[in-house]
Amino acid sequence: MRRFLVAALAVLTLATGAQAHSALDSSEPADAATVAVVDTIALRFKDALRVTSITMTGPDGEVALTREAGFDPATDFDGVPPADLPNGDYTVEWRGLSADGHAMQGTFGFTLAK
Amino acid sequence: MTPMDGFAGLATIDGWAILSILAKSLSYVAALGAMGGVLFLAVFRAADPGVRTLARRIAVVSALAILPILAVRFGIQAARISGMGLDGAMDPFMLGIIWDGPRGTLAIWKAVGAVLVLGVVLDRAVGTLLSLCGALLIAVSQTLVGHSLGDPRLVLASLLAVHLLAAAFWVGALIPLHRAVIAPDGAALLHRFGTLASLTVPILIAAGVAFAWKMTGSVTALIGSAYGVTLLAKVAAVSGLLLLAARNKLWLVPAVAARDPNASTALRRTIKAELMLVAVILIATAVLTTVTTPPMNF
Repeated sequence: MRRFLVAALAVLTLATGAQAHSALDSSEPADAATVAVVDTIALRFKDALRVTSITMTGPDGEVALTREAGFDPATDFDGVPPADLPNGDYTVEWRGLSADGHAMQGTFGFTLAK
Repeated sequence: MTPMDGFAGLATIDGWAILSILAKSLSYVAALGAMGGVLFLAVFRAADPGVRTLARRIAVVSALAILPILAVRFGIQAARISGMGLDGAMDPFMLGIIWDGPRGTLAIWKAVGAVLVLGVVLDRAVGTLLSLCGALLIAVSQTLVGHSLGDPRLVLASLLAVHLLAAAFWVGALIPLHRAVIAPDGAALLHRFGTLASLTVPILIAAGVAFAWKMTGSVTALIGSAYGVTLLAKVAAVSGLLLLAARNKLWLVPAVAARDPNASTALRRTIKAELMLVAVILIATAVLTTVTTPPMNF
């Protein structure tokens, strides 16, 4: 029992440093922004998060994004849209798993006006 | 996240989030039942055999429910992070991502704990020891995921584990106590539980308040955040539970001991009301830990 308690204590002590919710800190383009060019869809999280799903929808429907990284936990996520996006309103929906095991999701939108 | 107007830190609530809250509430019931049944058997060794059998059954059924509930919650989590609905719930890649995270570690600790809890069927010292280790493992498993992973890690984890064990002692005893009201020498058991609860409940509350304070940090955050408002709803339900418990201890249990013919019925009714309030508290806790962000993470 004592050995178990010591082991449990060790696990709890060593497992420090992990943070709770990995909330979205900022995005590029910013939410509700009007931009002339969209080279990258960038998400910046306060703590590492695995982005498991990201979809972008525009005036012509869903837009494919090319992930620049894999599914490892990261504070920065970049997705590259195709060139020559048409003008209009765009919505980005992301989902992920935060460092503390919570399912996270969010949405932001921007307008492209070249 | 999409904070709703007026409440900071409230995540999007869709059908899968609601399913997640319901499944998490059930997982709390199973965990508290398994831990509580074990603690009841360990503490009240001289209780009526019928009451002990009921407590043992609660521990076993709850422990057996833990594994399927874990599996269902994995599926719901996979559906939520994939955005693919039912297909996502069964997607091996998404399930693998969850398994690699803290929820996978929780599952291992909790599953081992659940197996050890089954030691209660041995009804011997070794069985008691195994099941107590199982109860402790289940409590510790809950500290390996969620808000208790924030800093200071050890303090938050310890507070949560103590809070859970004290809650399990109370919640897990309610159904056996409901039976004890009509059992021979039930009044003595009820009185002893009340005496012990007057020690464990303050610990339960102190640990809960300390944890909540670490999460919120200020009274303003309590009122202005989804986490805070949900926490206040939980506190309101807990206050109701405390009033019922005080009524039991101060009036109804002494009346049952004095063989008041109406007291037994009233006490059993009050214990049922306690169980209903516990359900409200567990749902509020599931909301708290599923779709709200503690102000300390803003």
